[in-house]
Amino acid sequence: MFEADILLEDIREILSAVPFTLFMALVTFVFSTIIGSLFALAEYRNIPILRELIFVYKVAFKGIPLVIVIFLGYYGLPPTIQFLASLIGINFNGHHTPNWVLLVIGVTACIAAFQAEVIKGALNSFDNGQADAARSLGYTNGQLFRRVMFPQVVIAAIPDLTNSIMVIMKALSLGFAIEVVDIFAQSQLTAALNFYYLEAFVIAVVIYMIIAFLVTTAADRLERSLRVWT
Amino acid sequence: MLELKNIKLSYGNTQVLNGVDLSVNRGDVVSIIGPSGTGKTTLLKCINYLVKPSSGTIAFDQLHMDYAQADKKAIQAIRLRTAMVFQQFNVFKNMTVLQNVMDPLVVVQRKSQDEAREIALRELDRVGLSAKRDSYPSQLSGGQLQRTGIARALAVRPDVMLFDEPTSSLDPELVSEVLKVIKDVTSSGITSLLVTHEMQFAKNISNRIVFMDQGVVAADGSPAEIFDAPANPRLAQFLQTELAFH
Repeated sequence: MFEADILLEDIREILSAVPFTLFMALVTFVFSTIIGSLFALAEYRNIPILRELIFVYKVAFKGIPLVIVIFLGYYGLPPTIQFLASLIGINFNGHHTPNWVLLVIGVTACIAAFQAEVIKGALNSFDNGQADAARSLGYTNGQLFRRVMFPQVVIAAIPDLTNSIMVIMKALSLGFAIEVVDIFAQSQLTAALNFYYLEAFVIAVVIYMIIAFLVTTAADRLERSLRVWT
Repeated sequence: MLELKNIKLSYGNTQVLNGVDLSVNRGDVVSIIGPSGTGKTTLLKCINYLVKPSSGTIAFDQLHMDYAQADKKAIQAIRLRTAMVFQQFNVFKNMTVLQNVMDPLVVVQRKSQDEAREIALRELDRVGLSAKRDSYPSQLSGGQLQRTGIARALAVRPDVMLFDEPTSSLDPELVSEVLKVIKDVTSSGITSLLVTHEMQFAKNISNRIVFMDQGVVAADGSPAEIFDAPANPRLAQFLQTELAFH
């Protein structure tokens, strides 16, 4: 059914897209987690106005299909970047912004809304009695967060954060719509040249599965090694 | 030493504290008793500002604070001079027993690791937990968790110990090991406030008993006055119910 020499050639080509896909996924993961964490903290601490704004943001970015956000970013961000740069006296042609950057911004904006819920859930799982104990002993809010809350909240969030890495990996495949070449796009391009579509997509599936296996295993090990107290 | 005046606090429409006056002298062991939901724990948590009274004042030796204009420095000063033992233990789950006791000394009191460790080991020995110093809270029984909480509180050398129903969450067979430690602590001369439903224990270790009812101090006296000749009819009724239950 499959031709070995075609498979080997396709594997080599499709694998070449893996490092860049992983790089984009990592950048998206880091930024969406940072933004989501800030949102979650603002909600957890019940900061007025910010809390309402975050609610609106989450409704918008959880509701709008990701592909639309990507297109909005693709068409809307370059002129916006150019305008903002001009406000601070920088002459920058926004249309020179690489497409992968626009993709990462779009996916980050969407995933941040979900990461906010992940972190909020982990924060809510924290037993507040420990916070009372820390405050009664004179811990400042910062000390309480660093010493007691953060180590517990991070570990509670690991399984869901791992999920989000895989969600990001899959979301990036929509970058094909704006000419960003990730694993999926590379398999599409490879197949378009030799017409071995089934081979190319099976290779892509296997690569995605291997990445999912590695990420899940690594996260499980990390969680186990950090959760020494249970 | 410690004087609370006209403390008022409400949760929504429910008035929990209706103007509590309470003064504690140095070395006093005061047990606070009363029906559930009458504000005993809330009163204790007002002292270290874990809950915020709507009005009232607190005087702690030279330190005075009006709760209507609470200031952070005064709150921190009070917290550094008190230590609380909680009903639900509230030990830090991500730390071992030893780390639980050491951490406030290092983080808040800025003691060196060595000094903190020495103090922590001494307090753990005092509560009989030396062998469990490297265990995590998930590996301990309720009694051991509460003794960790007591060691952590003692280690910061507080002027006043606040015990909030320290045995209420324990299985009956674990209560005695914690009461033994509390008795040892209170008999060492440290000023203590104890919210409890252990009437016999309160009678044995306290030099004063405060009976709270409907958010106020309804009776205040020596154990003999409170338990043997209760003048307040609500107190008499409460004691009858409690003693019948136990």
